[in-house]
Amino acid sequence: MKLVVQQTRMELTTLLRNYEQLLLILVIPVGILVFFGNVQVLPDSVSLSRLVSSVLTLSIMSTAMVSTGIATGFERSYHVLKRLGATPLGRERLIWAKAMSVAIVEVAQIAVLLVIASIMGWSPGVVTWWKLIVAIVLGTSAFAGIGLTLAGRLRAEANLAAQNGLYLALLAVGGIIVPIDELPDAMALIARILPSGALAEAMHTSLGGATSDAWFSYASGSGVWLDLLGWAIVAPIIASRLFRFDG
Amino acid sequence: MSTVFVVSTPINNTALAVRDLVIRYGDITAVRSASFEARHGEVTAILGRNGAGKTSTLEACEGLRKATSGSLRVLGKDIAEIDNASRARIGVMLQDGGIAPSARVFPLVRHYCRLYDRGVEPRRVLEQVGLQHRASSTWRRLSGGERQRFSLALALAADPDIAFLDEPTAGVDLDGRDMIRGIIAELTAKGCCVVLATHDLDEAERVARHAVVLHQGEVVLDDTVENLRSGQRRLEDVVREVTR
Repeated sequence: MKLVVQQTRMELTTLLRNYEQLLLILVIPVGILVFFGNVQVLPDSVSLSRLVSSVLTLSIMSTAMVSTGIATGFERSYHVLKRLGATPLGRERLIWAKAMSVAIVEVAQIAVLLVIASIMGWSPGVVTWWKLIVAIVLGTSAFAGIGLTLAGRLRAEANLAAQNGLYLALLAVGGIIVPIDELPDAMALIARILPSGALAEAMHTSLGGATSDAWFSYASGSGVWLDLLGWAIVAPIIASRLFRFDG
Repeated sequence: MSTVFVVSTPINNTALAVRDLVIRYGDITAVRSASFEARHGEVTAILGRNGAGKTSTLEACEGLRKATSGSLRVLGKDIAEIDNASRARIGVMLQDGGIAPSARVFPLVRHYCRLYDRGVEPRRVLEQVGLQHRASSTWRRLSGGERQRFSLALALAADPDIAFLDEPTAGVDLDGRDMIRGIIAELTAKGCCVVLATHDLDEAERVARHAVVLHQGEVVLDDTVENLRSGQRRLEDVVREVTR
């Protein structure tokens, strides 16, 4: 445990010194929340409470998938993972340390975003805490699985491009900011399968928001959770099969 | 009254025992049935041309690469089943460093000292490798020689009983080489087994007592440097001859 704590500290220190990562995990989600919360450019169906759920989803995606994926991809290419594998830390504890640092960053992100949302006039409905925690855990697992699959196979530069491209694609058409029922039919069909829209919806209902028609008609409400659960199981399994520690 | 320094050497002097090691990558066989030993208090040089299997052998000994078959015992234990306490006694210097360009010298050395948890003082390690004046520099701002010494510092953080050094003097200037030779001499003087892979045969001749020459994945020579150089021959000529 001591070594995991030590490595977690190192992961967090490295993250705090990396301005691109800070932009991704904090500045962009806060910017989106403040901008779309004040400027009426999104469809009327996007209330402040739905926007808050969407931005929380975005922050989880930023940390678990993009930030972790890009950092791990470069560490792999510089043989940092390999070098750490030759210390008493070993690979298993290294993975635990990365998971712990992701969890700590997410807690900090969510706290900051909720404080800003409250200042903007947001107040949660009836929060179902256990559902909120389950949604965060499943979302983190799903996105970390996707991020590490890319990081563990692609060259560092290709991984960087892929993570950023996927981030923008999911942000635009993944059911995060623009609701699924506002998307064209074909796009909506794909967005319903993706983990991004499912996590946004799960966060929204956990925070006391009303269920979206798009998801309701999809699979009687539970479809969101089944979708998220599927990604949370399958993505890490694929990552563990495909990931190569040495680039 | 004279002072007598006693080097504590384990009863079983073998620190590394490699038996019938085979390493395959798909259809390619990098190492085929290699066997050799390395002892405490000595430098064993693994020599050979590019692609001879030196780095693959070293990485298998470090536990970073899985052997296809054969046995590898490091500090008396099978490397595949080595525990943390024994792992903490193994120093490793990778050929390409294994350090991120943004990593700062002192914080990373301190981190490795904590991971190995052998009571090594990070400032002392920096002094040993001559990087105390570069403590706050990042890897990307160091010269080639300084990068090698930074990488060596991570191996020293283990206060190793066995140290695997891959090309430790590559790209290092004359002063840097002297410093690295001095560190290697200090390690062996206190009983550490140093296993180094190198292309630099002059360097091997200077520091190693024992040489293992690999050619196309096979051990073609395994003897003391002194025996190999019998008859005024240079180690380079001997290696050139057997790896032709």
